[in-house]
Amino acid sequence: MIELKSVTKRFGGETAVDAISLTVNRGELWALVGTSGCGKSTTLRMINRLIEHDGGEIHIDGRPIREFDGKILRRRIGYAIQSTGLFPHWTVARNIGLVPRLLKWPAARVNARVEELMALLGLSVEQFADKYPSQLSGGQAQRVGVARALAADPDILLMDEPFGALDPITRKGLQAELRDLQSRLQKTIVFVTHDMDEALALADRLVVMNAGRIVQQGRPLELLRAPADDFVASLLGGDDRGLKEAAITRVAERMQPLSPRLLPQARVHRDATLRQALAVMFREHADRLAVVDDEAMPVGELSLRRIVGAGREGGSDT
Amino acid sequence: MSMALLTRWSAPLVWLALLLALALGGEWLEPLLRWSEPDARRLLYPQADLLTLLARHVQVVAIASGLAVVIGVGAAILVTRPGGRDFLPLVAQFASMGQTFPPVAVLALAVPVLGFGTWPIIVALLLYGLLPIVRNTLAGLEGLDPAVDEAARGMGMGGDQRLWQVELPLAAPIILAGIRTSVTVNIATAALGATVGASNLGAPIIAGIVNGNTAYILQGAVMIGLLALAVDSLFARLVPARQ
Repeated sequence: MIELKSVTKRFGGETAVDAISLTVNRGELWALVGTSGCGKSTTLRMINRLIEHDGGEIHIDGRPIREFDGKILRRRIGYAIQSTGLFPHWTVARNIGLVPRLLKWPAARVNARVEELMALLGLSVEQFADKYPSQLSGGQAQRVGVARALAADPDILLMDEPFGALDPITRKGLQAELRDLQSRLQKTIVFVTHDMDEALALADRLVVMNAGRIVQQGRPLELLRAPADDFVASLLGGDDRGLKEAAITRVAERMQPLSPRLLPQARVHRDATLRQALAVMFREHADRLAVVDDEAMPVGELSLRRIVGAGREGGSDT
Repeated sequence: MSMALLTRWSAPLVWLALLLALALGGEWLEPLLRWSEPDARRLLYPQADLLTLLARHVQVVAIASGLAVVIGVGAAILVTRPGGRDFLPLVAQFASMGQTFPPVAVLALAVPVLGFGTWPIIVALLLYGLLPIVRNTLAGLEGLDPAVDEAARGMGMGGDQRLWQVELPLAAPIILAGIRTSVTVNIATAALGATVGASNLGAPIIAGIVNGNTAYILQGAVMIGLLALAVDSLFARLVPARQ
């Protein structure tokens, strides 16, 4: 658990972070979002003491972080950054094993852990263990960066725009993998991004920052439905907010049981988002879709009325 | 494997062989030198002396360059640590000043203090050789990718660990290039030591100038050139090949 209590950071006369408070519970993924220079990266780097906070208190698992030596603290906290920061003179395997070696694990345990992590992140040991970072693609390098952050099995993971430099397809793929990884590992993650779609797709909680202050924090849906002010509204996409809400709502949440009516031709997977369902409707000129499962068996149907919210309070439109 | 090894080291080996051939010399050189100095009574610089002079030359350069490496790399490391950052401009300036000072002037100033002989030339070479080493070490350490530094800190590496495992290995090719320049230049400059009584490969050159014997000058100059080439090509192979 990470607690920030009115944490403040000043650089010279500038207040970069102004009395912010938030509590990240174990197993949650929080996304800090905001424009450039809003203090979100500074906040992240205060948690592992790469930057020391001037005021307020930061606690990890109930203990103030100042009680720990900075190095010892950072070895307990995973850290992944946008430009990966992989050591160019070390192989992939050696890069991943960095923190375990700093913690003086025996060599055999380090090797076993490195292989385990490479498997976890879909990097073939045979193919990649002895490669150098310059021989990797952007997506592969970022996987190695995440593997390195996870190496010593930290409870907490800090990620500073880890997928920011990747092309959209690779980024989407890695986001899906992170979501999948998180559902298995249940780490406590603080994630900085300025990509709102990424934040909405990954986060349990959103923290919107502006000029060093927290403007609003809450679940993605809460923010989308009730932005605190114009800044939050525009950051969340202005009029596109509706589509963003559709993009984080599953078809399965809105579908109805199969009716006796003729099943429509157009179909959508139950795990697809409402946004994808809308796209199918638009493309197929249909206002009803068949919802199918993994075996392409129809399990329900979805109407435009249900999507646009007539059914928000639960199946009253039949 | 041994063939590849031989090819890799062939250039320095060739230069070294030529150098030793000259030092051990012998009669076969005489016709060659005769061409440069048809009338001289003696053409070959005394051989026993040549070998000793070569050894002394190497010794002087090794001592001066060794000190320059220790002082130069050490100073550059110190001023790039958090505690020493204030001294960075001072050290950078001092190193450039050492280079702008002509070695001859250093010799002239050092002789009254250190007397004639080997020490003045060591001091001159040390001062003269510092700049490329300090400059390149600073460039190498300062040129570290900020993301790599951020990651090293973020993973919980201490100052010493970052220096030895990250900063120095990544700066090594640039530092080695500086040492290479410094040593090569010093091999040539060391010859000036002969003017203040240091016995090295500058001695045949000075003797040749004094006696009007081009053959002596040639032997000294060519040997210095070959020594510089041998050492330079050795350095070229020291820089690790990395992708």
